Amino acid sequence: MKAGSLRVRLLLGAAVAVFLALAAAWLAMTLLFERHLEHRAEADLIRDGTQLAASIAVNKDGVPTLRREPDDARFAEPASGLYWQVSTQRGSLQSRSLWDESLPASAVAKAGDWSTRFVPGPFEKELLLVERIVRPERGGLDVLLQVGLENASLHRARDEFGDELALFLALLWLILSAAAWAQVELGLRPLSAVRNEVEALKRNPRERLSTTHAKEIEPLTRAINELADARERDLARARRRAADLAHALKTPLAALAAQSRRARTTGAAEAADGLDRAIAAANAAVDGELARSRAAAIRAAPTVSTSVALPLIDSIVGVVERTESGALLVFDVNVPDALTIPVAAEDLLELMGALIENAARYARRRVQINGSASLQQSELSVEDDGPGIDAELIAQAIARGGRLDEIGSGHGLGLAIASDLAEATRGRLALTRSALGGLKVSIAWPLAAADGATAI
Amino acid sequence: MRALIVEDETDVAADIAQAMQEAGFVVDVASDGEDAWFRGNTEDYDVAILDLGLPRIDGLTVLRRWRSEQRSFPIIILSARNDWTERVAGIEAGADDYLGKPFEIGELIARVRGLIRRAAGHTSASIAAGKLLLDTNRMSATYAGRPVRLSQLEFRLLHYLAHQTGRAVSAGELAEHLYGAADPGDANAIEALVMRLRRKLDADAIETRRGFGYLLAGSGE
Repeated sequence: MKAGSLRVRLLLGAAVAVFLALAAAWLAMTLLFERHLEHRAEADLIRDGTQLAASIAVNKDGVPTLRREPDDARFAEPASGLYWQVSTQRGSLQSRSLWDESLPASAVAKAGDWSTRFVPGPFEKELLLVERIVRPERGGLDVLLQVGLENASLHRARDEFGDELALFLALLWLILSAAAWAQVELGLRPLSAVRNEVEALKRNPRERLSTTHAKEIEPLTRAINELADARERDLARARRRAADLAHALKTPLAALAAQSRRARTTGAAEAADGLDRAIAAANAAVDGELARSRAAAIRAAPTVSTSVALPLIDSIVGVVERTESGALLVFDVNVPDALTIPVAAEDLLELMGALIENAARYARRRVQINGSASLQQSELSVEDDGPGIDAELIAQAIARGGRLDEIGSGHGLGLAIASDLAEATRGRLALTRSALGGLKVSIAWPLAAADGATAI
Repeated sequence: MRALIVEDETDVAADIAQAMQEAGFVVDVASDGEDAWFRGNTEDYDVAILDLGLPRIDGLTVLRRWRSEQRSFPIIILSARNDWTERVAGIEAGADDYLGKPFEIGELIARVRGLIRRAAGHTSASIAAGKLLLDTNRMSATYAGRPVRLSQLEFRLLHYLAHQTGRAVSAGELAEHLYGAADPGDANAIEALVMRLRRKLDADAIETRRGFGYLLAGSGE
């Protein structure tokens, strides 16, 4: 757990809050228990006092006497903590437990009802004292009746209760903290799911967070999705603008070609040649840049979509058959109807278009396009019966990590485009000699990258 | 020969027009899609060179309108957008060829001539053989009423077979007809071509007579 993490903050917060609540509960309950003890003790003292009142008499000297002493043995034991005393202005009578001490005089005792107060008592102990004035005989003397109990016994009981309660509440605190931990874990679990989905989004910007999260997280996931949408739109716009810019250069290049031709007709052949070379170089650079930007776009946002290969290949062949070089060729397409490739349709169109057009340019009679899928990979290949590329040149290009457009056989740019696109779509491109005699270009997409590939 | 050049870039249009005139064409130039559509719809042209990025109406829409209005002259698309999605869209909209900018003017003229050559030279407009109907003007075909797009080679093979009423034609003879006597090619190429045609038309569209060769189904009836 990281310091400052949400989990720690929630757990600490819960633990402290529960602790404070339990401490307050402990204090309140102890006080209430103490009050309860005092009330019980007061009731007991009043009961004893009432028994005493029933036994009081005053002799002719005005000194109180008792017809019968209270039963509680503590009244007979010196300094037991439980005392009584009856007194008149002429004398007093007290429990044996008071020994040579006496209860304090009272200015608050009333005749009608019991009064209760805490007073410093005998033996330097605080007392809970109940007292009242009684008059045993009509017209006789007033007798102050007092019964007291040492407060220490009450405090002892309160402290014992407080200790046991504290132990129980500490246990409760542990249980509640564990419950809070479980609650925090449960509460943060949707955030873990969001984190996993954000990781997936980081890997593939076309991913989106699912909409099945808890209601409280929904604004966050919605905001992240909107941010991802905005980012993807910006990227798409930037790519579109780059492509538009590249395309926009093509028409001025065509206009320059027209100027070159005009220059040639006016006799400036040398200038026209230079212009033509510049136009060809600029055109190749634009084509290469367009292909690279497409490959970069795929790398930046790898697609999860798949394409059925055959209709796309048929469309490409339909175009190439109309070109001068393709018109007299046989296109032998052996691709299963259901073969799918883990590449978006427009990217597969560019990739296979570059390869088939290239093959058509060099084929003598035939271009063969094969497709297959196994449990490990799906594969497409294009081969022709043309002159092919020298194996040594292929090996050199591959060995030195050079670009395929540097092969120099004329196959170059188409192969370089296909190679870039194959690599961007996690395909492996291989150049071999075809059984037809020419070049065979194969691209295999491993099954790990080809979830949608259909084994044929 | 009349050609319509549809191009909004004046320099490019003038260059093509000059080259076409030098090649013997009578040339009209339209600089926007609306003008192009009107001219193509009201005049008879032997070929049209059509830019896609046009003001008012884009080139692809003009092309689709012409084709939907049964204007069948050959069309070559000239476009700055040379990616395969655009090319396929152009051909599927009814264009006969596609050339990306910048281009060699010589290549453009050669392609225009090729298109005209393919579209012309047929005395009969159509040939029927069983379920197959060949349109020799557009070099297209229908099989059992369903339009089928054919390559030049495929069309020539079907055209040859259609003229051999009830006769099986050997692979060698077909190769000689398609590629010329000097370089007749290999029989495997013909076999691959026949297989591709069977896939496009119907598995039974071309019969194989063992030891004799190929013939169109129903051509002898």
